[in-house]
Amino acid sequence: MNALMDDAQPVYLYDGTLEGMLTAVFEAFARREAPLNVAQEHCLQQSLLCSYIPILTDAEKAERVQVGVINKLGERAYDNIKQVFLSDDGEKGGVIVRYLLYTMRKGRGSCAHLANPAVNAFEEVLRQVSKEAHYMLQFVRFAQLRNGVYFSRIEPKASVVPLIMGHFAARFNVQPFMIYDARHGLSGVFDTERWWLVDARDIQVPEQTMVEDAFQSLWQTFYDTIAIEERRNPTCQRNFMPKRFWGTMCEQIPPQLRNLRPKTATPTQAAKQLAARNQTPHVLSA
Amino acid sequence: MELLDKLTILADAAKYDVACTSCGVNRAAVKGQLGAATSAGICHSFSADGRCITLLKILLSNVCSYDCAYCVNRRSNEVPRATFSARELAELTIGFYRRNYIEGLFLSSGVLKNPDYTTERMCEAIYLLREEYGFRGYIHAKAIPGTSPELLVRLGVLVDRVSLNIEFPSEKSLKLLAPEKAGASALKPMAFVRDGIRANYQDRRLSTVRRTRFVPAGQSTQMIIGASPESDYHILRLSASLYQRLELQRVFFSAYIPVNTNPLLPAPGAVPLLREHRLYQADWLMRFYGFDVNEIIDEEHPFLDPLIDPKCNWALNHIDQFPAEVNRVPYEMLLRIPGVGVRGAKRILCARRERSLRFEDLKRLGITLKRAKYFITCNGRFAKGVLFDPVSIYRELTAQAKRRRLKGAVDGQLSLFDAVAGEREAAFGVAVGMSGQAPRNMSPYGLQGNAVGSRQALPASGALAKVAP
Ligand code: SF4
Repeated sequence: MNALMDDAQPVYLYDGTLEGMLTAVFEAFARREAPLNVAQEHCLQQSLLCSYIPILTDAEKAERVQVGVINKLGERAYDNIKQVFLSDDGEKGGVIVRYLLYTMRKGRGSCAHLANPAVNAFEEVLRQVSKEAHYMLQFVRFAQLRNGVYFSRIEPKASVVPLIMGHFAARFNVQPFMIYDARHGLSGVFDTERWWLVDARDIQVPEQTMVEDAFQSLWQTFYDTIAIEERRNPTCQRNFMPKRFWGTMCEQIPPQLRNLRPKTATPTQAAKQLAARNQTPHVLSA
Repeated sequence: MELLDKLTILADAAKYDVACTSCGVNRAAVKGQLGAATSAGICHSFSADGRCITLLKILLSNVCSYDCAYCVNRRSNEVPRATFSARELAELTIGFYRRNYIEGLFLSSGVLKNPDYTTERMCEAIYLLREEYGFRGYIHAKAIPGTSPELLVRLGVLVDRVSLNIEFPSEKSLKLLAPEKAGASALKPMAFVRDGIRANYQDRRLSTVRRTRFVPAGQSTQMIIGASPESDYHILRLSASLYQRLELQRVFFSAYIPVNTNPLLPAPGAVPLLREHRLYQADWLMRFYGFDVNEIIDEEHPFLDPLIDPKCNWALNHIDQFPAEVNRVPYEMLLRIPGVGVRGAKRILCARRERSLRFEDLKRLGITLKRAKYFITCNGRFAKGVLFDPVSIYRELTAQAKRRRLKGAVDGQLSLFDAVAGEREAAFGVAVGMSGQAPRNMSPYGLQGNAVGSRQALPASGALAKVAP
């Protein structure tokens, strides 16, 4: 190590797991230093001006951090750390470590020191992640597949599937569903009893049912009809519902691209099919 | 008729209803039943007009035996008519709900035969949805004044929210524009529902077994703005008393959109969206910021200023209560600073326990200083370049609003905007054209203008004397 590097803050390299991140926190405390960042090994353009310290994930150290945080700052604080960990922000590692270096020293009340840069940066990432999760509660669209599963594809800016599964599993407890986060290669699966996460990339899904086609066109019709022409306000619309979500929302498909198959199934027929199918899954004929 | 056609007709007929919110009630999910409700509500989409879509907002039927002058569905209009069967409506709601399109149903209807008959049909449809389909999502039903109390009770136990529309801010306008409705005022059934909610609340608190809830998300109402001559003063006083006396959760305003030509109604032209927007701002001040209606508007100035929001207006009229020292003033006063919202005020409160806040800190807390900076000090100092004088503040704030409007936001009523700007500036009299100078005794608000630059000492008001440099 040369002289230049000696007083530079190091960058920790971890394996991308929560345990790895918590181990990095452990190391920062052990070494009494604030790393510039905790970065994922393969996601990094290394720079000559930084020193890099690889962190070996250690479940025991990670657990000690978890217990320490819960004892000192409470369950809620630990949940928040997990939530920040779900962010796509490349700086999140540094943010978490600096937050803990400050709050673990100052104690429980210090989580509310919003003007402190360490706390503030943490709160900011936390807010972004919860905002993204809330967007998903709003804009997730399920489509019913031939195999009876309600399927949704999303591309959120943070890996929020674990945060939203509980919400949907509660209200949709009568239907099996799957939320596929194409950006993070992660799926949440619910089978009407419990939900779990699976790694999933480039998954192939069965076709939609005809009932689904019918409901989508009903919804598109409703969506188009309910707008008041005299009050048209695209700026406002986009502020509330950013364009990046439109790609996975069926009502945003422009009319000319919408399903052009003849609409043989009216929703009443559709409903009958639905009822029939509910008793005997997998046998709906096209 | 195909369901798709019915949906088109009945959604089109419902689109002018504004009260599309799904908030006010928590209903936990139950194993084996579809749906739940969260008290904050969730918006599932936004239509091209920028309004939130959270419920399937729909009429049961647009057949109507009344002939209200302002309404598309009036019996004398020749429009296609349709009526849902209870089953169609339930299938539609469930189908949309399962796909996460909606939080639930907002059902209203034209008057089929008479109010009781209509309410019975609505109850049937909702009963089917709740009982046979086990639906636990949000339901908002519009009740028609003149419905019998027994039916209101039946409806109230099935739904989360009931709304009875008062339609117009005065009895006189209602008589003129909706003569059939004028016979039965909305206020009586509103009071009935209020009493029901109160009694039900008591019952549930005192009983150990689970009791049916009656209108758990409370009631709301709606009135049309700009189709009748009432002033903002009148409207806001009315809504204040609706909140206080009838314990309403929400009063909605709906800018009048001409759908019929009628000599009694304003000609088609600009939709008074800006006015609606200002009324909502005033409404928020009453509901969340601890303002009394008399602080927002008075008889002498019976219309809200279109150029600045009501909070700025209040602050300028009470400039003696400013500047507010963010490190000291109590929460109630933080809420009164223009540009500081409920969240901002809470964050300031939290953050200032740890350190004394500077302007950079406020920015970090996410407080936008665009308006706030004129009304606050941090440790006795104003933000750079702020001239603490109501005349110049008014000027700056209206200039901001103009720039925003020119960018094409909100309302597109440039002409009205300019007209009022001129009027208001004229009211400033000599003040016009003297920015930068130390103002003399001529503030339009009848106060001494105090020129206080960023470097000058503050007026030594009690709370601030200590921190003034
Ligand atoms: S009662 Fe009046 S406002 Fe309501 S649908 Fe009939 S005509 Fe329209």
